[in-house]
This record gives sequence, structure tokens and C-alpha cells, in this order.
Amino acid sequence: MAQDVIVETRSLTKVYRDFWGRKKKTALNALDLKIYKGEIFGLLGPNGSGKTTTIKLLLGLLFPTAGDSFVFGEPASKVEKNERIGYLPEESYLYRFLNAEETLDFYGRLFNIDSATRRKRAGELIELVGLSGDKKRILREYSKGMRQRIGLAQALINDPDLIILDEPTSGLDPLGTKWMKDLILDLRKRGKTVLMCSHRLDDVQNVCDRIAILFNGDLQEQGRVDKLIEDSNRLELRATGVQMNDALKRELEAVIKKHGGSLETFGHPTTTLEDLFLRIVEESRLRPGRRYMEPVQAGETAKQ
Amino acid sequence: MTNATLFGMLIIDRDPFVYADFWGLVQAWFQDAGGFAALGLFAYLAYALSMPAAQAESAKARAGVSPFMLSMAVLALILYTVYAFLVTVFPNIGPDLANAKIYASDPGQYIKYVPPKFAWNLQPMLLMVGGVFALLGIGEPFARSLAKVRLRRLWALTKLSFLEAIRSKVLWVFLIALIPFMFPAKWFFPIKAEDELRSTVAITTFFMNFILLVPAGFLAAFSIPSDIKNQNIYTIVTKPVERFELVFGRFIGYTILMTAALVAMTTVSWLFIRTTGVDEKAKEETLKARVPLRGSMKFQSRKAEFAGTNVGREFDYRQYIAGDPSSPQRAIWSFNSLPSGITEGRDFVPCEFTFDIFQMTKGVENRGVDLVVRVVSWQSPQVPPTEMKDGTWKWVDTAKEQQYQDEAKQMVRELKGLAATDDVNPASALAIAKPGTKEWEIVNKLTEKYGFYEITGKEIFDYHPESIAVPVGIFKNALKDAPKPTKENPKPALVQVQVKCNTPGQMLGMAEGDLYLLEGERTFDENYFKAAFGLWCRLCFVIGLAVTCSTYLAGIISFLAMIFIYGCGYAVDHISDMASGTSYAGGPLRAVKSLLGAEQPTAQVDAASAIAQVTEGGDKFFSWVVRRFVNMIPDVYSFSWSGFVSEGFNVPVEYLVMNLVVMVGYLLPWFILGYYLIRSREVAE
Repeated sequence: MAQDVIVETRSLTKVYRDFWGRKKKTALNALDLKIYKGEIFGLLGPNGSGKTTTIKLLLGLLFPTAGDSFVFGEPASKVEKNERIGYLPEESYLYRFLNAEETLDFYGRLFNIDSATRRKRAGELIELVGLSGDKKRILREYSKGMRQRIGLAQALINDPDLIILDEPTSGLDPLGTKWMKDLILDLRKRGKTVLMCSHRLDDVQNVCDRIAILFNGDLQEQGRVDKLIEDSNRLELRATGVQMNDALKRELEAVIKKHGGSLETFGHPTTTLEDLFLRIVEESRLRPGRRYMEPVQAGETAKQ
Repeated sequence: MTNATLFGMLIIDRDPFVYADFWGLVQAWFQDAGGFAALGLFAYLAYALSMPAAQAESAKARAGVSPFMLSMAVLALILYTVYAFLVTVFPNIGPDLANAKIYASDPGQYIKYVPPKFAWNLQPMLLMVGGVFALLGIGEPFARSLAKVRLRRLWALTKLSFLEAIRSKVLWVFLIALIPFMFPAKWFFPIKAEDELRSTVAITTFFMNFILLVPAGFLAAFSIPSDIKNQNIYTIVTKPVERFELVFGRFIGYTILMTAALVAMTTVSWLFIRTTGVDEKAKEETLKARVPLRGSMKFQSRKAEFAGTNVGREFDYRQYIAGDPSSPQRAIWSFNSLPSGITEGRDFVPCEFTFDIFQMTKGVENRGVDLVVRVVSWQSPQVPPTEMKDGTWKWVDTAKEQQYQDEAKQMVRELKGLAATDDVNPASALAIAKPGTKEWEIVNKLTEKYGFYEITGKEIFDYHPESIAVPVGIFKNALKDAPKPTKENPKPALVQVQVKCNTPGQMLGMAEGDLYLLEGERTFDENYFKAAFGLWCRLCFVIGLAVTCSTYLAGIISFLAMIFIYGCGYAVDHISDMASGTSYAGGPLRAVKSLLGAEQPTAQVDAASAIAQVTEGGDKFFSWVVRRFVNMIPDVYSFSWSGFVSEGFNVPVEYLVMNLVVMVGYLLPWFILGYYLIRSREVAE
């Protein structure tokens, strides 16, 4: 059975021009893309590669110079498609004179959601993004991470089928980043489609099913993340229960050589800094009062 | 109601619109707005239809063309083409404006604005129907968009604007600055006791205008551009929100906000007036709301073409009649409709007037000018004298006049207990009768029977409001078997007030608004709040214009554009003069020529000179250009009622309803323009 296409672009092109109509920059060049139902799709690329332009074109914030884009089968210029979209901009561009409750109430009204449902969803979402204690504070007083959280809550107020996230982990600390990634994975579990773009490649690698890599407005690569990052020229072996020593290394080298290869590295694997940080924070939570102590050097006690 | 001398003087150099003007205004609106709509529609269709067939569906959806829109454009085009053909082939029956003679023949001539009348002639009808089709065509997507507006969304955007303004503190700064101007003027300035209320109302209104309009325009002009600049708009237009809802929501939000501020400020200033002890003289003069019954005025004399004399005063609002016992010149006010209640529960109706005296001679010291005021009903028509040196107007029915004289004499004799042989002058005897006396009863009986009443020797002073009591019998006589309108006389005058100046060597200046019958009185309080409606309409203009401009322009540019358009409204008469070529000083080229040549602006133009031909031709073109844009300017003066309040005149609800009609008619095309601008705009930068 063919998969449902949620987002499709056909030769989507955007050229920025100056006041006199002279060409300034081709931000996006003939992009062909399909995003299917229930997947997490990542747009990658350096600054100015066309990621955000693609998202703005899909949302109708910009008009294409050529080509076309469709969301839920509707042209991107149709307002009706927005009923099923949730959008979190790169910066959380919300009204800073409103508090969290007022913000969600405002966006709920824009979706024409009735009062009771609005209140219920707003309560749930504030709880979900961890801002229950700050829901009466105006957004001007929020930190960047808190604004990002309330921004995500507004993107989910209509229980959307397609969630578009522009740099979702921007401004979040590692805990917040993990929370955001878990949430995105949870959305996929619930059958939602997610389109995200990010500079943080580890975020994309951890959560995206498929990615597209853009450079200078051109699509450079597209495909499943696990396939794209797979290095078929190398082999990785991990083992537990054995001690690292020269004898083992020599034996392994011999086996690999016998099969025509060569051993490149041999040693303990390193964890990621993110994992280390999360582990320490988790331990600190479990053991309040725990503090870092300088390791005692040999001989220092004797001097005293 | 008293017969005390009243001191209200209201200069109405332009009649406010009344219900009778509605259909004429509607026709003019379809012609004007339709013309702009046609231009927009044809330009839009040219763009949309020139799109290549392979164009993206998104682009096609943005510039959609429905069969309805197309058919309306075709119909409009046909009608405009027929109109153009008729104007070209039969130029002499074109609209007056197109063939208007450039520059008024009489420099400084007062040209009274006449509201447009509905015309059934072919050409105006073609323009009107063409305009209707063009508006339907261009308005169809707008109407579809309006149909998608949801109150919940609209209210969200409205509330947002409201909260934004409240929490941004900009508004508070302005409102706090306004508070001192709410205080009574007498606290700050030495003013005459009788002018106390006038000054307070004038100062309060002026500053309320300024301090409410500026923040209203400021907030409205910067709202959408700020949303775009701060990118808040990203999270709004990516919701199922029609872009026009954003514009409409902003407009309503700021309007509600400024309405609340206006109500608060009006209430505060009204409380100050009511609680700070207004002087008795001021109370008597202006702490009331007179309901005047106004008539149409014309000048008449022995010569049929007499239209008053211009005494050379700069402000040509008034024309003059010569004063002399033998002068046949009259200023005549005709009242062609009388409210049925005018005769109920009263024995007289006050007639109030304020005239200008232009002295040809020094006159008598401390002595005013004598008037003869004759009030006649339609049953006793009068005609000018035919004999030279005869200044008395005659009854058409001379037998009836004789009968009146005889009966009047008899009644006066009976009243005074005189014999039939004693000499009696009924005119002077009746003229001094005062309401509430036996003489007045006789006057009422006579006037009811004959429809005639005259006061002689009424002394008045320059610009000093005066009042006379008109017996209610006149009106009873006029309403009895009142004539029906006919084709020859569609508005038969039921009652006429004829004014004559009796003092030799003096000229009496009058305009239509200078005399009225006092129909009743309402309260100052009600009037004060009614007058605030005019300011509310101005707020709507400012907010509507600013929000529309901000759909495409940056905040500061929108603000300046709004100020320019609205500011032109304060000079709309001058701009209209330029547009119609009736400005006595000519256009800009002639003005430059006059400046360089050190000529008087009123100097005769030498039509044969080549330079004059160039300047006149250039000015004519300039007039043509200005005519295209003159109707984009709001007539802000017609929304000011502070003069009515400060002089103690009631602001009729009719005027306010017509204010509303004109305001909606003005803002609607701007909103349609705003709809297309915001729709065609990329909101992301």
C-alpha cells in the first residue's frame, strides 16, 4: 500500500529580489521532496542553505518564485490546511505581554476551539511542557528555554497531524533537549508527522527517520538516516566481559588480517557528553547534597 | 420654554447630511468607489489572467479569478465604454464637473456645498451601475473572506490588540497627559462668564481630538508592521486565520480600546462641567440643547435675479440687503415641513436669529438697526411692490388683506374699549403684544385665521442673537389643508419668515443658518455625549486608514501616510476648490506666476498671453489629477459637533446616523484595498 504523502514540493524555488526586482539570492532551487505520514523528517544544512525558507514556503509565509508545494494535498497558499498544522518557529515569536495561559487561550481561539476544550488542552499542555508553576508569569519574564517550551505548547494546541519545528532544541539545556527529543519521538508514536530542521546534527540523528541535506539552496542528499550514515567500508565490534590487553589485540589483528582487513582502533568506547551530563544530573536528583570532591593526591595526607 | 433672549450663534457654512441625502450619496459612492474598484479590478484581472497556464497551483490560488468576478468586470467594462462613448460623442451632456469653467468668476464668491442628488439621467446611471458591477467584482473575494471570519478568532485578535495597547503603557502616557485639559477652562484662563462653557467645550474637544487621535493612529499604524518585524505574525498566519481577520481584528481592537478611552474622557469632562458650578449666564446661554427648525433661505426684491449684495467682506458666507423703509429687499426663510407637534401645548414659537450689520454710515450711537419681521403662511402669499419707493410687500389677495386690517382694527378697539371712530393702528398694537396676555390671544386668533403676523421696529445689534415670539396661530393656519407637493412645486413652503432692514444706510448680512424656529429643547448632558460620536467617527477614520496603510507599508510610513490623508481632510474645501477649478487664486502654476510677477492673486488673467495659456492649461491638468484623488480624503469637519454643543444646539440623531453612513462608505473601499494588500504580501522577511 502506498504511503500517504503529507508534504510534497515540486521544483520549489525561491529567489529573493531587491526593491527593483533584481535578483539578490536563490534561497531554494528546484526542491523536490516528499514527506510521508508518521515519519520524522529532518532538514539539514548550514546557515543560508534554505531550510527555513522551505518551511516558510510550506506555511505560506513566503510565496514561491517557481514550482509548487502541497500540504495534505492542498496548495500551500490555502489557509484551510493550517487547521492540521502545528508550527514552532526558530525563535519562539510569541506575544511577550501575555502569560502562558493567555497565550494558549489566544492560539486556541485562532483554531476556533471552544472554551471548555481550550481550557482543558491549555492545562494539559502547560503540564506537559513543565510550566505549571509559571503559567501566570508574562512571557517577557521567561528564559529562552521556557519560551521555547510554551512555543511548543502553542504548536500542539490544535492536536495537529503535521508538526513543523524550526530548530526545536534552540535555547534548551541538555535536559530540555532530551525532553524535546523524547516528545518528538512520542509524537511519532501517536501517528503524527514531524518536519524539523536543526543545526544540531546529533538531535537529527537521534530522532529523524529520514533527512534531506541542503546546501546553498540545492538538495544535496536525501534518505533514511541509518542508511545515510552507515559506513560500509568499516566494521564495528563491541564486546563486554573481556579485559583489554595486548594479547587480545594481537589475536584480533590476526583474525582481521586473515579476512583482508586491518585494525584501526582498539580501546574502550567513549560515551557522549550529553549522556554523561544526563547521568550526573539524574544522580544528583537521586542523592541531594552530593558534591564534587577533589581527588586526594598520594602523599598529601602524609605531609599533613 | 422662555422667551428670553438667546445667545447661541452657529455658523453652518455647510449643511450636515440628512436622511434625504442618502440615495444621492449612495449613487455618488457607487460612482466614485466604483471608479477606483474598476481600476483595481482590471489591473488584478490583467495580472491574474496573464499568468502562464503552467504556473504553480499556489500562485493560481492566490490570484484566483472566479467566473462571477470575470463577468462583473465585463459588464463594468461595457458600461464604462458606453459612458466614454457618450461623453466623447455628446460632450455637452457630460457631467458638470468635467466641463467646469476653471476658476470662479467672482473671486471670493461663497460656493455652498450642495449634497449630491440621485440622478436618473443616462450618464450618471451608467457610471453608477458600472461602479456597482466593478465593486461586486473586486469585492467578491473580500466577501468570501468575510464569510470565513469567525467571531472567536476575531475576538482573539481584537482582545490581543486591546491587551497589547493596555500593557504597552503608550496609551496611558497619552491619557494621563490629557487629564489637565479635562478641567474647566476657567481654572486656567480669564474668560467671560457667559463664554465659560463655550471655552471649556472648545478646549476639551480640541485636546481630546489631538490626544486620542494621535495614539490611535500610532497604535494602529505600528501594529501589523511590528508583528511582521518581531515575527509574531508567523504564529498567527500559520493558523487557519484569514489574513484579513488580522486587519479587521486590529481595527476592532483599537476601536474598542479608543472608544473606552473616549467614553471615559467624555464622562470625566462632563462631570467636571456638571460639578464645578457653571456660571448662571453661561447656563442660560449654552447649558441646553435647542432643537432648531431650519428653513431654506433666499433673497428677493423687485428684480427677480436679486441674490443679495456682496459688501466685499472676505468671508462670503453672508450676503446683504440694503436698509431703508422704502427698500423692497427681503431675506426670506421658507419652512416647507412643520412637525405636527409644533402647535401643541404652546401659544408661541420662538424665532431666533443673529445677523451681521455692515455699516455704510456711522448711524446713531448706541442704537442698533431696526428690522421688520413678517411671518406668513402659505394661505397669505406676499409679492414685492411694483412701485418705486414703495418698500412694503403686498398680499396677493388684496381683499383678504383688507379683511384682515378691518378685523384687526375691530379686535384692538374691543380690547382697548375704543369707539369705531377712534384711530387704531392694528400693526403696531399687535406687534407689542406679549405671550400670555389678552392681546396675545387676539394675535393668535388673527394669525390662525389669516396666516399673517408682523413685527416692526425690532432693534438688533451686530452679531447679537435675538428672539421674537411667533404666534402659534400662524402654524395652525399653515397646517390646515396644507398643500401637497406637486411636480411644479415639489416643496411648497408652509410658512415664510421675511426679514427687512428698516434703518437707512445700513446693510444687513444673513445666511441660511442665521435664523431658525425653536422647535424644542433637549438636555445639554445628552447633547454632550452625542457630540462625542463625531470624535468616535474620526477615531474610526484614523484607525481604519492607519491599519490599511500598515498592511503594506512600514510602521512609520503608515503613520505618516495616515496623517497625510487625514490631514488633507482639514483642507478638504480648499482641495475641492482646486479639483473643481473654482479656487479664485487659480492653481499652483498660476500661483507661481503671480508670485514671480508680484501680481495680486485676484488679478485678471490675460487669456491671450502665451504664459497664461501654459499656466492655465497646466492648472487645468492639475485640477484633473486632484479630481481623481479628492474623494479619497475624509471630510473630517463634517464630524465635528462641538460647535453645536458649545453654542447650545441639539445634535440631531439624523446627523449622527448620516455620519455613520458616510464613515462606513469611506472606510469600506479602504478595507477592500487592505484585504488585497495583506493577501498579496509575503509576511516573512
